[in-house]
Amino acid sequence: MEIAIARKHSGMFPWEIVVWAFGNMAVWLALWPLVIFDVVPLWLGFLIATVNMSLVYLPTHDAQHDIVARPGQKLRWLNELVGHATTWMIVTPFEVFRVTHLQHHRHTNDPQLDPDITSMASGPINAIWRSIRERQPDGKRTNDYLAAVARAGREDLIPIALFYKLGHVAILCLLAWGGFALEAFFLWWLPYHIAMVYLTFFLSWAPHHPGNEQARYRNTRSWKSALGNIGSMGMQFHIVHHLHPYIPLVRTPAAYREMRPILEARNCRLGKI
Amino acid sequence: MEKLLGLIMAGLPLIFAFGFLVPVIMQGMAAMEWQPPFGLSTFNFALFLGGSLGLLAQVRGRWI
Repeated sequence: MEIAIARKHSGMFPWEIVVWAFGNMAVWLALWPLVIFDVVPLWLGFLIATVNMSLVYLPTHDAQHDIVARPGQKLRWLNELVGHATTWMIVTPFEVFRVTHLQHHRHTNDPQLDPDITSMASGPINAIWRSIRERQPDGKRTNDYLAAVARAGREDLIPIALFYKLGHVAILCLLAWGGFALEAFFLWWLPYHIAMVYLTFFLSWAPHHPGNEQARYRNTRSWKSALGNIGSMGMQFHIVHHLHPYIPLVRTPAAYREMRPILEARNCRLGKI
Repeated sequence: MEKLLGLIMAGLPLIFAFGFLVPVIMQGMAAMEWQPPFGLSTFNFALFLGGSLGLLAQVRGRWI
């Protein structure tokens, strides 16, 4: 029954996610000339860029799970394009996201093997602090990601990941010394860091908290977010994603509502939603 | 190549400080019309502030 519901909500082409991916990137790229030529004030550009940065990850997440198109399907190129064409904005190669995220699914909440384990924290304030702390040069998260990539036999991705990081710094420096330091700071550097806090909080910490169980039906949960479904980017229904990662993001709320009695019977961690 | 990338990564806080923070401080001060203290030029002040932050981050392994 659970599988039948999951199948019912999967397999369709998620056009919303494709429009989201490229529309978001187009808006962010358009911000640069608009701000530089004073069409849009920098403070407004900063707000829009922060939203843009926060919106980058989820389309690539669907692509990581081959939801746009599976290997061998006609639109497979589009699945890969959604991933590769957009993750550079948040300074990580698509393949690194894919490999580490699949390891997260395989080893959810495992202190040794889950590359996202550093998101775990005792409460929301601690989660925000930890997200900032883990992005410092001595943070453990980068090492966990590199180790996950190595465990998957994809050491070839490590120099590419370093290249992305250095390329980001190089572009920021070139823009800054070219007279666009404030634009680089407020349209990319700061929005990126705010977005990473937001993404770690809502996509990693909140759906897994307290992150101390590893069983398939217990390692994530449903929960009611004060920011609603859009403000929490659909993560209230993250349990459905972990159980059936082939369901498109936009279909997880409907799948959850239909699946809820089954999840209850399986002793899942369900919030008041 | 990997060794070179590793070396650059090791010195990234200082590279970031002098390559990015210094001009951000300079252009930020100019935009706010702030004058640097102690009769310093904006460039020297940005170099001092950005460089100090970068050096601290390089030594401590964290910015904050």
